[in-house]
Amino acid sequence: METNIEIQAVDELPNLDISESVTEFTGTSGKYYAREFGRIQESSNGYCWTFNLASALFGPLWATARGLWGLFWVFSVLEVIAAVMIGLGSWGDLGADQFARAERLAGNYERMMERVESAIEQGDEEGEASFRKRADGLLKAQEKALADAEEVEAGATRILVTGIILLVLVKVFEGLVANIAYERQYTRWRADRKVRSGFNRSSGILGAVIVSFVYVVTLMRFTSGNPPEIITEFPIDNTIYLQISSWIDYWFDIASRNFAFLFFGISRAIRIILDGVETLLVGTPWPVVMAVIIIFAYRSAGSRVAIFTAAALCYLAVFGFWQKSMATVALLGTASFLCIAIGIPLGVWFARSQRAYTFARPVLDLMQTLPSFVYLIPIIAFFGTGKPPGILASMIFGLPPIIRLTALGIREVPKDVVEAARAFGATDMQILRGIEVPLATPSIMAGVNQTIMMCLSLVVIAALIDAKGLGYDVLVALQYAAKGQGILAGIAILFCAIIIDRVVQGRFKDAEKGG
Amino acid sequence: MSEETGMPDVLEEVPELDLSDSIRDFAGANAEYYAETLTRIQADTENIKFWNMSAVLLGPVWSAARGLWSMFWLFTLGELVALVQIGKGIWGDLGAAKMAEAEKFSQRASEIRIDAANSGNAATSLEIADNLDNAAQIAMAEAQALGDNWWLYLSFGLTAFAALRVVQGMYANRLYEMQYSRWLVNRSIPSGFSWNRLGYAAAMLVFIVPLTLYRFTVSAPVSWMVDFPANKDYFTVSSNWLDGWFDRTADSGKEFFDAITLVAQAVLDTIELALVDTPWPVVAVLLVLVAWRVASIRIAIFTAASLAYIGILGLWEASMISIVMVGTASFFCILIGIPLGIWFAGNERAYTAARPVLDLMQTIPPFVYLIPIIAFFGTGKVPGVLATIIFAMPPVVRLTALGMRQVSPMVKEAAAAFGATPRQILFGVELPLARPAIMTGVNQTILMSLSMVVIASLIGAKGLGQEVLVALQFVAKGQGILSGLAILFCAMMLDRIVQGRFQRQEER
Amino acid sequence: MKDDVVIKLKSAWKIFGTRADEAMKAIETAGIGKAEVLEQYGAVVGIADVSFNVRRGEIFCIMGLSGSGKSTLVRHVNRLIEPTSGEIWLLGQDVMKLSPSALREVRAKRIGMVFQHMALLPHRSVRDNVAYPLEIRGESKARRWNVSQHTLGLVGLEGFEDRFPRELSGGMQQRVGLARALACDPDVLLMDEPFSALDPLIRRQLQDQFMALSDQLHKTTLFITHDLDEAIRLGTRIAIMKDGRIVQIGTPEEIVTNPADDYVRDFVQNISKLKLIFAHTIQVPISDYAAKQGEDLSLSPRISQDVDLDHLVDVAVTTNQPIVTTDEAGADIGVVSKDRLLQGIKGGK
Ligand SMILES: Nc1ncnc2c1ncn2[C@@H]1O[C@H](COP(=O)(O)OP(=O)(O)OP(=O)(O)O)[C@@H](O)[C@H]1O
Ligand SMILES: [Mg+2]
Repeated sequence: METNIEIQAVDELPNLDISESVTEFTGTSGKYYAREFGRIQESSNGYCWTFNLASALFGPLWATARGLWGLFWVFSVLEVIAAVMIGLGSWGDLGADQFARAERLAGNYERMMERVESAIEQGDEEGEASFRKRADGLLKAQEKALADAEEVEAGATRILVTGIILLVLVKVFEGLVANIAYERQYTRWRADRKVRSGFNRSSGILGAVIVSFVYVVTLMRFTSGNPPEIITEFPIDNTIYLQISSWIDYWFDIASRNFAFLFFGISRAIRIILDGVETLLVGTPWPVVMAVIIIFAYRSAGSRVAIFTAAALCYLAVFGFWQKSMATVALLGTASFLCIAIGIPLGVWFARSQRAYTFARPVLDLMQTLPSFVYLIPIIAFFGTGKPPGILASMIFGLPPIIRLTALGIREVPKDVVEAARAFGATDMQILRGIEVPLATPSIMAGVNQTIMMCLSLVVIAALIDAKGLGYDVLVALQYAAKGQGILAGIAILFCAIIIDRVVQGRFKDAEKGG
Repeated sequence: MSEETGMPDVLEEVPELDLSDSIRDFAGANAEYYAETLTRIQADTENIKFWNMSAVLLGPVWSAARGLWSMFWLFTLGELVALVQIGKGIWGDLGAAKMAEAEKFSQRASEIRIDAANSGNAATSLEIADNLDNAAQIAMAEAQALGDNWWLYLSFGLTAFAALRVVQGMYANRLYEMQYSRWLVNRSIPSGFSWNRLGYAAAMLVFIVPLTLYRFTVSAPVSWMVDFPANKDYFTVSSNWLDGWFDRTADSGKEFFDAITLVAQAVLDTIELALVDTPWPVVAVLLVLVAWRVASIRIAIFTAASLAYIGILGLWEASMISIVMVGTASFFCILIGIPLGIWFAGNERAYTAARPVLDLMQTIPPFVYLIPIIAFFGTGKVPGVLATIIFAMPPVVRLTALGMRQVSPMVKEAAAAFGATPRQILFGVELPLARPAIMTGVNQTILMSLSMVVIASLIGAKGLGQEVLVALQFVAKGQGILSGLAILFCAMMLDRIVQGRFQRQEER
Repeated sequence: MKDDVVIKLKSAWKIFGTRADEAMKAIETAGIGKAEVLEQYGAVVGIADVSFNVRRGEIFCIMGLSGSGKSTLVRHVNRLIEPTSGEIWLLGQDVMKLSPSALREVRAKRIGMVFQHMALLPHRSVRDNVAYPLEIRGESKARRWNVSQHTLGLVGLEGFEDRFPRELSGGMQQRVGLARALACDPDVLLMDEPFSALDPLIRRQLQDQFMALSDQLHKTTLFITHDLDEAIRLGTRIAIMKDGRIVQIGTPEEIVTNPADDYVRDFVQNISKLKLIFAHTIQVPISDYAAKQGEDLSLSPRISQDVDLDHLVDVAVTTNQPIVTTDEAGADIGVVSKDRLLQGIKGGK
């Protein structure tokens, strides 16, 4: 009743006139687009039958000129597919493969017949029969290849027709979607004038150049029987590659010779720490180590984790992985210990010095994005194979999180708290130890956890450079596809990972509660 | 206490805070002693040492009984080392290793003598034998000397042990005071003197000390102590059984695994057709163009330079194969991960159940799941893609769920108030608003996929990964570094393009 | 009469918390209070035993302090929140019995809602925000644009159609929210503090405009505010809430002159009564009036007993005499002396 009045009231609203802004948007053919956009907007679901002849004719070119790059990609791909089909149908050498095969078979047949004759000459009946049989087979195969080739050749017309039909369909499609997509673009443009608008001739020309280039090269590649080498292979022989790589080799050799003392010293230092940890884990009688680990798990993560730990350790022991897994854990422990010992001070430094952090950040990013295997290579070159290089590689991988999260944690300490401490006359050292580090502890602990996990994933990979441990077993299993062994070793790694993760996380929660 | 610190007069008259009652509460046994010492420690500003006799006498047992666990473990370890030295000094066979060496030398010498008698060239052989004999003599002497050095070990061990006890005596009260301060704010910190803890520590020591002493002081300890007396059969039997199980499962689930392979293969082939079979100039031009349109001119230049590097070094095809694999893996990660993330965002229970699995997928070293993948899918590109998917999927799932959860509930409510259907809310409100988070996830997924290319090539997926792997095997440094850089450039190219797209959208 | 009730709540309860049902049972049987519910069940009482009717064309104001359950209450009407118990009727339908699709239909076509915190869609332009309800309904884009243009004009935001909400000030955003609710041309408007972020000038302007609109178009409005002045200006009737309960419902005058308890009295204390109290409320019947010395009621100005105090004051300043009030027929029926007038202005009787 009353509602009628209201609806009328709204119905009688003056029509919003968009033609002016559409003209501004389209630049050219404003009237046409204003009319078409109006129709599209009037439709209830945003779609209606509207056909853009320019788009149908010029397809990708229209799209680039109108700044619709998304449509450009779709149109070009579809058109190229259609064009390849037409090209294949009209001048492509479709049967070429099969003809070549038939010819080869014919040659083989000739040769086989020669052998048949020689067998006849020698009176070798058995040989003759078998050769003849094979020759017959060859003959049949050749006939079949020929037939296939002809069939394929005959199919050329079919491909041609399909291609033409496809092209027509593509064109129709291009005409139909153009205005709808263009109207969407217009709506976006209204809210954001940075959206491309107008008719842009240079874009159109760019589109034309790209399209013609793509058409020509692709057609050549797919329709000619033997396309020029330059478009199938990058025109380069690998002399440059070899030259550069041997040049790098050369420099590596020089560096490793001249700085041998340095590399030796580093690996010696790592070795000493590793020996200590190994004595502790591998040398100490296993019942002692096992008991201590279980107690540790219990104290830091509760009884459920302790029970799991006990079961997992039993698994390791019963399947004979005890020493290997302890060696792995020793590697891991040394690597994470070094990461933490180096990473936290670095993180503190980076938190304090913006300049240092700016410099270090790309390096940190690089350390993490570079696939770990890549830096195994210089490490082998300088440090050889074995455990210390394995630890070094793990450190490269494991350092970034702890540095990053320490720096982050310290940076996120509220400025006013630090300021307050300074106001009471605290020294830098007191601020660091009494305020920044305690407040950053959760973040630092998260970093420690991540670092340990990163080191673990690399310690396993380090088997590739002869660092032994559980990873080695998996690697061997991979090489010989020995599934059972691999899985058993894999589970051992998995258990180590879970135990370490749980225990560290447990500690982390303790630290959070306590601090 | 104010006199030394020279505080202003007014504060000098501050009445002393009497904590002794609370310290008594804390200390439990021997309360009076601790009330007095801890109060004095608190008053002290000059780092005076307060001697604790029971810590000296009992050592780690004292710290355990008082609940100072870190101290307990630290000094147990230290005392163990000292005790091992003492043990070696008293009953250890110090020269044993040298003695064995000497024996070996003399045995070898006699062997050579026998040989020399039979062959010509006796002179040199005899000379060698003499040398060996000499060496044997020296080693024997050294062994003797070592054996005579027992008192050195003994005295070092005793000194170290005593020093450790002294240190414990000196620091016990200070540490105990720190424990007290912590206990004041957190009553779950252990306090008092507990017979339970004492017994527990004593049991630990009784268990640890003899075993360890025996292991390190006896020259040839029984073997079950050195390594777990595992029965090799367990391993063999289970690994055989597992082999059989994998074969059977692979056999009976053939259709299933083949179907997965087929789908992955189809996607792989399509992308491969586009990147590898399409002439390289087209691919290069299109990639640069995409970088320009989607990101910016700077990134387009970077892309062009990377592509030039790859092309000129002849790594074009390998790189494209790697990109195809990364593309396929990312495609599946996104296709599966985003719907999963949406589901987890809406369903708390599902998310709780899935979270450990996601954690596991990220914590397990990829090596581990390569094995079952090989067992079921064989080697080649498809298994490589599958391993990559497992590794790279978690970020997109996690970040989609996170993004969806962060959409303001008020905005969703408003949409519901105007009668929007759940679908309309999902596509019109939640997904657009969660897009930044989702895009971050996609980006991470792509990068993680790229970091898997080398590992995937361990199971026969060609491409740049294989180049690196081969270089690693032959320590071909140059080759490895060049292909490694190619991987890096591919990663950065993809990363920058996706990020650029995302940043452009952000600007709007 | 009955047909005219547009919104009806019948002893609606809402208890937040996982153990809401147990708490509800305990309230029904043991009659425990809000504090006990929180203590024993860890549940918060949002609204408690709320009943009222809103008639067609009314502006029904709900007011109360922060946390008294206003927003919770208004969300029940279109069932954004499920009540723990009670009945809700909207436009003659039992809202609790509607199927999900029917509920969506009602929300899309019959109800417009303004949110306290705007809740605009950050990724859509202002125009598309306003057009959102129409889009949900499946209207064409042309119509959506026309309507949004029109309603944005009503709230004075022409020229901002192609901006994003984040480019607008808080008050402007609130007006976008208002325009969005108006755009769907609903029968019922649910407005949760729609004017709270506006400056006094625009607020007044929008209040006037809104009153004219709802008068003209017979909208029914549930209007939430914590500003009693606003409630009195706009409200046909006002409900005062406290701790989830409605403590009083009445016309502005009833509330002001007859506060149900101290809570309400506190509220209305500082309210200007000039426009709310009428001569007939404070007059003394002419028969009871004892004229003072030197007073001659025949010289007094005559005025209708239905004028408000504002008017009476205007008259009183022109004369020393008490004012005589008349009924419709023009017969003298009462007297308002100066004392009485001053008392009335202070709010007493
Ligand atoms: N989703 C919810 N979960 C739990 N408690 C809620 C929830 N929503 C509201 N409440 C509680 O219900 C009570 C009423 O809240 P409501 O938002 O209705 O207050 P309000 O009257 O609108 O206040 P304001 O004027 O500040 O907007 C508050 O005590 C609040 O804590
Ligand atoms: Mg509210």
